[in-house]
Amino acid sequence: MSEMWINMGPQHPMTHGLWNLRVKIDGERILDVDPEMGYLHRGIEKISEDRHYNEVVTLMDRSCYVAGLNWEHLYILASEQALHISPPERAEYIRMMCAEFQRIGSHIMWYAAFVQDIGLMTPFLYGMRDRDLVLDLFQSFTGARMTYEYMRVGGVRNDLPPPFLAQARKVLDWLVPRFKEYDELCIGSDIFHKRCDNLGVLSASECVRHGVTGPMLRSAGLKRDLRKDRPYSMYRDVDFDVALADGADVTGRYLVRMEEMRQSIRILRQVLDWLEHHPGPVMADQLPRWLGAPYAPVGKEGYVLKRNYAKGVGFSSIEEPHGEAQAYVVNEGSERPYRVKFRSPVFANISAARQYLVGYRVADIPPIMGSVDPCIGEVDR
Amino acid sequence: MQPDDLARTLSPKLGDLLLGVEPFEGMAGRVRFRREGALDLFRVVRDDLSFTHLSMVGGVDWVDHREVFYVAWSDSLRQYLLLSTDVPAEDPRVESASSVWPSANWHERETWELVGVSFDHHPDLRHLLTPDGYAFHPLLRSFKLHEPEELEVKSRHV
Amino acid sequence: MTTPAARTATPAPSESPAGDLALGKELPMADQPAVPFVEIETLRVKEFIPAAKEALSSLVAEQGQARVIRPVFNWAGRNSLFPLHWGLACCAIEFAAGFGARWDAERFGVVPRSSPRQADLMIVNGTVTWKVAHKLITLYEQMAEPKWVIAMGNCATGGGPFRTAYSVVPGVDKLVPVDVYIAGCPPRPEAMLDGILKLEQLIRERKE
Ligand code: SF4
Repeated sequence: MSEMWINMGPQHPMTHGLWNLRVKIDGERILDVDPEMGYLHRGIEKISEDRHYNEVVTLMDRSCYVAGLNWEHLYILASEQALHISPPERAEYIRMMCAEFQRIGSHIMWYAAFVQDIGLMTPFLYGMRDRDLVLDLFQSFTGARMTYEYMRVGGVRNDLPPPFLAQARKVLDWLVPRFKEYDELCIGSDIFHKRCDNLGVLSASECVRHGVTGPMLRSAGLKRDLRKDRPYSMYRDVDFDVALADGADVTGRYLVRMEEMRQSIRILRQVLDWLEHHPGPVMADQLPRWLGAPYAPVGKEGYVLKRNYAKGVGFSSIEEPHGEAQAYVVNEGSERPYRVKFRSPVFANISAARQYLVGYRVADIPPIMGSVDPCIGEVDR
Repeated sequence: MQPDDLARTLSPKLGDLLLGVEPFEGMAGRVRFRREGALDLFRVVRDDLSFTHLSMVGGVDWVDHREVFYVAWSDSLRQYLLLSTDVPAEDPRVESASSVWPSANWHERETWELVGVSFDHHPDLRHLLTPDGYAFHPLLRSFKLHEPEELEVKSRHV
Repeated sequence: MTTPAARTATPAPSESPAGDLALGKELPMADQPAVPFVEIETLRVKEFIPAAKEALSSLVAEQGQARVIRPVFNWAGRNSLFPLHWGLACCAIEFAAGFGARWDAERFGVVPRSSPRQADLMIVNGTVTWKVAHKLITLYEQMAEPKWVIAMGNCATGGGPFRTAYSVVPGVDKLVPVDVYIAGCPPRPEAMLDGILKLEQLIRERKE
């Protein structure tokens, strides 16, 4: 048999974005793979050096567009450490609420895209229907469906509108039976198991060697969740379990994500209760002038004002829907970050593609890559 | 684990290749080392200190020199560790970590093309994000972005 | 079209139907009469028939048969725009949401196709980088005529928030001709549908 390299991408139904999976095949068997990235490299890290701390938030939404609020959270935590600012407690709870709702939104989006990869059309419509409800919630307090620009260094832009909590509870009540519906469509179906069981297996030790994190790692049975292991924001105060599965295969990743959504609902109920009983400010006072305004810095003066502000380096690490994301922000005392560096979980997960693709068939690539949940915006940045 | 504990384990093994261990908020500490000792340090950190998971590799351009930093995570300690080394701007090279942590592979490719730090004995040092043959290192401070006005003028001639 | 040499080399028309379609011969299409009205009337859309009849007969009288079928083409084309199924960046998520349950873009006859050969509309839903620029042009060239391009979002229109970046094309109209621009970052699905309807309007007025 002759071996050859084929390109799957950049425009291919499997890719969910712009990237190219070069596959070396012998007949139907995969011998080697070589992912080719960079088709969406937008230079976010470079542009950030030219922007004010709060303006970088705009880029964060666009860097991972299905989990924008998680990435805002990530960046804000790192810059607050770099700038030595601490936000009020209510802001931290609101951020946590945003992060968990966004996790649900992102996982539902993954579900809708993934089931299409394995040839099911109905769940896509179900998924998009429910995701729109979550986005409506975001819209009610940020004004946008996907690109929010909501968090600020030192807090969040505005408080929640009064009817929000009741509406949010309604959405949660609606979602719980929906997850059962999703499961019936997938896990309850033999076809799903035939297509997804024992596919794309990556053991826990290989995951650690190759830097794979998130649902892929937890589906291999390793219990690592930064919300538990290294609690940021207020995750120390809420009660939830880490979603785990065994098998380390596509089905396992599906199960982990479904369980994570249920756990997110559990967290959200506690957070909503807390928010109901603890009104308060959502922005820190005593901010430097160029950071103080909740919106963009006010007037020309805000831009030219150079404070001799304490230097610092900030590092944050959060459990993003796709895995562990990290930010490293260097503050050199100006109103713009000196250097911003992000670690994208999908970047590492795709870099290990050779470990979980070689040996399977070409027709298995869409379900396996779908189960990785590639979000190319954050890989290429 | 505290910075003192780190120093106690590292300094006998590394000698003067270790420049110091500083506290770092939210991490076990920040280890500064000479680039000649990179591989030794990585092995000690992975095997003796149990930091088995390398999360990220990145670089910062400080104009007169460049800094390469590594973030590692330990599953048993549940802590991060920051390693950093300085390389001169005239000869920006450091030993690749991918023989110790395979996950360093892509992070180093990215650092090489964006910050211009080359990694010795890297298995596959190719362009990752920028197109093949891209001659610039965009994250250097000397690389300036266009102002929108300039861009306007230029784009008319494209 | 056949070359003169081919015409002289095989002068006698063959009797068999397969022979009619053999390579190197005049295709039989040119000699066929124009589409008879009877066939158009079998179409399902009842309101269309009188309008089409009128348009066709007046056009036949005015301009001859060569341009008679243009309204039919326009009608068919604008009601079944098949966009290329690809996602460039953030706007692609709103593009997908437009095909979800709430907006249901398929009611306008818009069905994404994965192969550029089957698509006649390219919705550029995201940031175009220089690295992907030549692939975008290749995809555009592979699409069959007639074809249209919608620049969806600020990035495709003019670079958007990444306008100053070193790797971003400041507007996809530097690469391919664009028919409709949709503003927004990202445009809501309603805006995307509005853009598609605007394009339908353009096709309705299309003369060539
Ligand atoms: S216009 Fe905005 S939402 Fe659309 S691709 Fe560009 S940055 Fe993303």
